[in-house]
Amino acid sequence: MADRTALLLLSLCAPAALIAFCVDAPVLRWVAALAVTTFPVALIALGAARGGRLQGLRGPLLILWIVLAGSFLALLALPHGGPDVLGIPLALALMLFVLVPVPFVLVCWAYAARFEMRDEDLERLRRLGRLRDGKD
Amino acid sequence: MPILHRPFLVATALLYLLITLLIGVWALRRTRTPRDFWVAGRGMGVLMAGIVTMAAAFSGFVFLGGPGLTYRIGVASLFINLPIGFTSALLGWAVAKRLRLLAEVREVYTIPDALLCRFGSRTTSGTAAAAILVGTVSYLGTQLLALGRLLESVLGLRETAGPYSLAVGVAIGLAVLLFYSVGGGMVAGVYTDLFQGTLMMVSACAVFWYALKAGGGLSGIASSIAGSPRFGRQLLEPFGRAPVLTALGFYFVFGVGVLGQPHMLHKFLMLKDPRRLRWLPLTLGLAQILCLLIWLGVGLVVPALVAQGRLPALAQPDDAAPLFLLHFVPEIVTGLAVAGILSAIMSTADGFMNIGSAALVRDLPKAWGRRVRRELLWGRLATVGVALLAACLAFLYNDLIALLGTFAFGTFAAALAPALAVGLNWKRVTATAATASIATGTLLNTGLEFLAKQTFFPSLPKPPLPPGALPAAVSLAASFTVLLAVTAWQGRRGEAPLESDIAAVMEV
Repeated sequence: MADRTALLLLSLCAPAALIAFCVDAPVLRWVAALAVTTFPVALIALGAARGGRLQGLRGPLLILWIVLAGSFLALLALPHGGPDVLGIPLALALMLFVLVPVPFVLVCWAYAARFEMRDEDLERLRRLGRLRDGKD
Repeated sequence: MPILHRPFLVATALLYLLITLLIGVWALRRTRTPRDFWVAGRGMGVLMAGIVTMAAAFSGFVFLGGPGLTYRIGVASLFINLPIGFTSALLGWAVAKRLRLLAEVREVYTIPDALLCRFGSRTTSGTAAAAILVGTVSYLGTQLLALGRLLESVLGLRETAGPYSLAVGVAIGLAVLLFYSVGGGMVAGVYTDLFQGTLMMVSACAVFWYALKAGGGLSGIASSIAGSPRFGRQLLEPFGRAPVLTALGFYFVFGVGVLGQPHMLHKFLMLKDPRRLRWLPLTLGLAQILCLLIWLGVGLVVPALVAQGRLPALAQPDDAAPLFLLHFVPEIVTGLAVAGILSAIMSTADGFMNIGSAALVRDLPKAWGRRVRRELLWGRLATVGVALLAACLAFLYNDLIALLGTFAFGTFAAALAPALAVGLNWKRVTATAATASIATGTLLNTGLEFLAKQTFFPSLPKPPLPPGALPAAVSLAASFTVLLAVTAWQGRRGEAPLESDIAAVMEV
C-alpha cells in the first residue's frame, strides 16, 4: 500500500513539476513548491517500504512532508521575507533554522531507528549470489 | 582570482601536495586487483564513507563559486544547500542499500554494472556509461582548470611561467592527481579523499567562525546588508534576487538529482559491511553540513563587509572567498582554507578519473558484450587517457568545457536518478523504460543547457522556457515522467522476470 501511494505521488509530482517548470504562470509556482517537496518524501517512502508497509515510518515521513511543504508554502506566502526574527527576515530564519536542521535530525534518527538488515537476510543473499556464480 | 602568492600559503600548498603524494605511494602497494582499483577492495567503514562521499560530492564550487553566487543572487543561492537536511537519508533509503546489496551478490564495481544487473540490458547500462563518460570528461575538465587557476595564483606561477602559467598550474595538479589515481586507484582515492574531506570540514568551520566574527554575528551581517543601498534587504529575501522558479529548481535538482551522481553512489559500493549503512545518513549529512558552513558564512559576510566599507565592491563575484581569506583571516587559517579548496577540487577530480576509466575499460566493453583482459593495467592506462583528454579539451575548448562542466551535475541527475531511485525499488520498471529515461535525461539536459548558455552560434534559439526555469529541473522532471509513463504503458507485458538474487535484493 505504501509503495503504491509513493508511486501514485511520484506519478502526479513528476508531470506536475514538468508543467510548472515549463509554463510561466504564477499559480504554478505553488504547484512546483508542492511537487518539489513531495518528491523526496515519496522517493523515501518507495525506498523504505517493505512488503507494502512503511514499518513505523509513516509518522516521521508525514512530519517531514509537513515541515518541507509547509515551510515552502510559507516562503512563497511571506511578502519580502516577512518580519524580522532574531535580526533576520523570518523567511531566512525558516531556511536556516527549520528547513535544514529539523529534517536532518528527523530523517537521520528515523533511518537509524528503523534500519533493518538481519544477518539471515544477508546470508540468504550471499547464498543466492554463490548459487548463481556456481551456475555460471 | 586575487593573487594568493605568500610564503606561508606556498608552503601549505606544497605540503598538501606532498601528503597526497605520500598517500598515493602507500596506496600503490595495496592495489593488486581490479577490485582494489575500482572499489578500494570494498573495505570502507561508515565514518570514512560519509567523509569520502562528501569530499567527492563537494567540488571547489562550494568554497569559491558558492559564496560568489550568494554575493550575486543573495540567499536564493542557499536553495542549493537546503536539501542536505534530507538528502543523506534519501540516498540511504532509495539507493545506497540496494546498490551495496547488489554488490554483495554480483560483481558490481560501477553504476552501469548495477544497472546491468538490475535490468539485464546491455543497452541500458551502455546508455548510462555513455552519459557518465560525457559528464565525466566535462566535469573533470572544469576541475582541472579550477585546479590550475588556484595553483597559478598560490604558487605565483604568472611571475615564473608567464603566458604558460595556467598550463603549468594544470600540469602540476594533474601530475599529483595522476600519480596517486593511476598507481593507487580507488584505494588511493578514498584515503586521499578522507584526508581531503577532513581538511575541507576543518577549514570550513574555521573560516565560518572568522566570518561571523568579522561581520558582527548573523544579525550584524543582516543589518549591514539590509541597510546598504547596494544590496538592501532584497539580498536576504528567498526570492529577492532570483526568480521563484530558479530557487525551486535548485532545490529539486540538488535534492532529488543527488540520487544520480555516480561519483557519490560509487562510494556506497565500497562499504565493507552493509549493516553499517545504518549510520551513513548521519555521517554523510554531518560532513556536508559542516562543509557548507563556508558557503553560508563567506557568502553572507562579504556583502556585509562591502556594505560596511571594509571591502571594495567585487569586480568578480567569485573573488568573494579569496578576498575574505586574504583580508580577514589569519594566515594559518588561510593556508588551511587553501588546502581545503585544493582538497575539494582534487577529491572530486580523482573520483571522476576513476569512474571515467571504468566507463571506458569496463562499462562500455560490457555493453558491447566484451570483456577487457588485464583490467587493472587497462584501468590505469584509461585513467591517464581520461585525465589527459579532459585536460586537452579544457585547454582547446576552454569555454565549451566550462559550459559543459557547469551542467554535468544536472546531466547526471536527469540521466541516472529516475532509473536508479525508482528502478531499484520497483520491480515493474522495465529496461526499455530505464533506457528511455536515461536517454531523455541526457539529451534533453544537454540540449536545453547548450541552447540556454551557448554563444558560439548566435542564430540558434534560446530554449522555450519561462524566465528563471532551470533546464536541469525540466530535464529531471521529464526523465522521471518518461520512466513512469513508459513503465505504465508497457504494463505487465513489458516486465521481464527478475533473477532470484536481484529480486531478493529488492525485497530486503
